[in-house]
Amino acid sequence: MTTQTQPILSVEKLNKVYPNGTHALKGVSFDVKKGEFLVVIGLSGSGKSTLLRCINRLHEPTTGSILFEGKDITNIKGSPLRTLRSRIGMIFQHFNLIPRKTVLTNVLTGTLSRTGIVSSIFGIFPEEDKKKALSLIELVGLTGKENRRADNLSGGQQQRVAIARALMQDPSILLADEPVASLDPATSHSVMQYLKKVNEELGVTILCNLHFLSLVRQYATRVIALKDGKLIYEGSPSEIDENWFQTIYGEDAVEVTID
Amino acid sequence: METQETALPHTMGPTGIAQMKRVISAYTMDLLHWAYIGLVSYKIIYQKVIMDMRDPDFSWNEPVFALAIGAIIALGLFFTKFSVGRAVKGLYDLDENKSIMKEPFTLLGYFTIFLTFIAGLFISQVSLREFFSQAGMLGAKRIFTALFNPNFGIIEPAIFAAIETIYMAFIATVTALPFAFLLGFFAARNLMSSSPILFFIYNATRFFLNITRSIEPLVWAIIFSVWVGIGPFAGMLALCLHSVSSLAKLYSEQIENISEGPIEAMTATGAHPIQVIWFGVVPQIVLPYLSFTIYRWDINVRMATVIGLVGGGGIGTLLMQYQGLAKWNEVGLLAITIAVIVWVMDYSSSKIRESIK
Ligand SMILES: Nc1ncnc2c1ncn2[C@@H]1O[C@H](COP(=O)(O)OP(=O)(O)OP(=O)(O)O)[C@@H](O)[C@H]1O
Ligand SMILES: [Mg+2]
Repeated sequence: MTTQTQPILSVEKLNKVYPNGTHALKGVSFDVKKGEFLVVIGLSGSGKSTLLRCINRLHEPTTGSILFEGKDITNIKGSPLRTLRSRIGMIFQHFNLIPRKTVLTNVLTGTLSRTGIVSSIFGIFPEEDKKKALSLIELVGLTGKENRRADNLSGGQQQRVAIARALMQDPSILLADEPVASLDPATSHSVMQYLKKVNEELGVTILCNLHFLSLVRQYATRVIALKDGKLIYEGSPSEIDENWFQTIYGEDAVEVTID
Repeated sequence: METQETALPHTMGPTGIAQMKRVISAYTMDLLHWAYIGLVSYKIIYQKVIMDMRDPDFSWNEPVFALAIGAIIALGLFFTKFSVGRAVKGLYDLDENKSIMKEPFTLLGYFTIFLTFIAGLFISQVSLREFFSQAGMLGAKRIFTALFNPNFGIIEPAIFAAIETIYMAFIATVTALPFAFLLGFFAARNLMSSSPILFFIYNATRFFLNITRSIEPLVWAIIFSVWVGIGPFAGMLALCLHSVSSLAKLYSEQIENISEGPIEAMTATGAHPIQVIWFGVVPQIVLPYLSFTIYRWDINVRMATVIGLVGGGGIGTLLMQYQGLAKWNEVGLLAITIAVIVWVMDYSSSKIRESIK
């Protein structure tokens, strides 16, 4: 029971100053509980992407600490850092698939951290990984497209390939940086549904940046909001009323919905 | 107060220094420009063209004097619209509605180009008299008659020499490839700027590539023919070295233009840096690399022909021998052979490159 209540991730007083002097995160602290679908909102430039990239250390935090599954991972390097990253899946706004490679190969790259360097270069992956890749491709509804070139798929399909790739890592948490920002409304919902499925059926904790509040209300179990690099809201999506909306997005903001 | 005082130079410093640098380089440009105009006008336009001197005296005082004059004129005109340096460095507040083509500094630029053209005509001794002289016409007639009556008797050695040239170029390209492939990564700024050590390697690689590339393959061939003896091997080494630096440069530019997304995604999966490069970088660059490499082979075949002229072996050397003996019919056949090779290489390489786009 204690593991249920212990947070999977805790961020404490995180500060990020970029080399050019931009202070992108200012003393951000919050916990992510196991199994939740936590959404980060905030204006463009408020530091959402920076926050996600500090967690898997694509960017180096300046001060503060990050605890993942109870271990301090703020300063680890080399092989332990790669092992950590393999436990954290990530999907991106622009999908970031490998061009000219098939869907299957793209999904298999999720296993790179546990595949030998030489065998991965020669494209030799274990049979069980291939089976797993195929079943994940089925999970995201792309059966039959295994050998299609990934860059020839539609945006929504590419994002589903990216989800399968991230799941290939057996992640305990999935970071999603505006996963639907370059998709149309219908496709956005379809991709969000897959994330929800991953969250509810596979029990993967999700930390997701989103732009549209309508999506937030529909999918988030909890919300945090950033403004100018500071955490200014933490609570349930239903509590974001008109007042909070204007605090987060500014006085003149008007809510736009996505159906 | 204290924080303001320390903050000010920090924020003002870089832009102020950058502006200073721009002004200084603009003035230097003007100075050299005026010195050039002065020197060319005096030494070529005045002494050679107007006074018609055969061998005017030269003393080092002249360029020094020209620089001094240039410094004064440049200073005098720096704050008028006649400063080309300020225009190049973007230091003018220009009227958007007025065409830049009619600005005084543009007209001055035209004048310099015109001056250079006139000087060039005299320096390269363009002489229509010799071009159409009787002896000249006879020589032209002799060589063209021979070229159009090629001696097919030497077709066999010509073909063998041509094959030697093509293979030499091919081996040079293939040997250069792995070196260029590796150096291309070291010379790519986006991969090498994450730590001071990497950045040092980047600069060292760039320096090496720039030096080797700026020396012509012909010169390398001469150097290597002293080293390993005259023949195809010297030519091959020369082409190889030049190919390494040219290809590495093209490769690194390709790497600098790739999208960061796949790299970021591969890093996020916990992949080893080598795997990140293999999956995140390589798929984005293979086709352009292949295209560059085929094009390089094409270039190498032409260069191999030229290098043959200085004893690098192959068809160029054969051409040199027959030319030395004034056997113009044989030279004619070789010229045709070279034209055919170059055409075939050019055609097939562009076809292949089109098909792998
Ligand atoms: N690599 C970088 N170097 C310097 N500054 C950066 C870098 N990346 C982001 N920033 C700056 O940090 C701040 C936060 O950026 P970030 O990308 O985290 O915001 P965001 O909330 O994700 O915005 P968006 O919704 O536009 O994606 C911005 O002011 C941005 O300009
Ligand atoms: Mg962002």
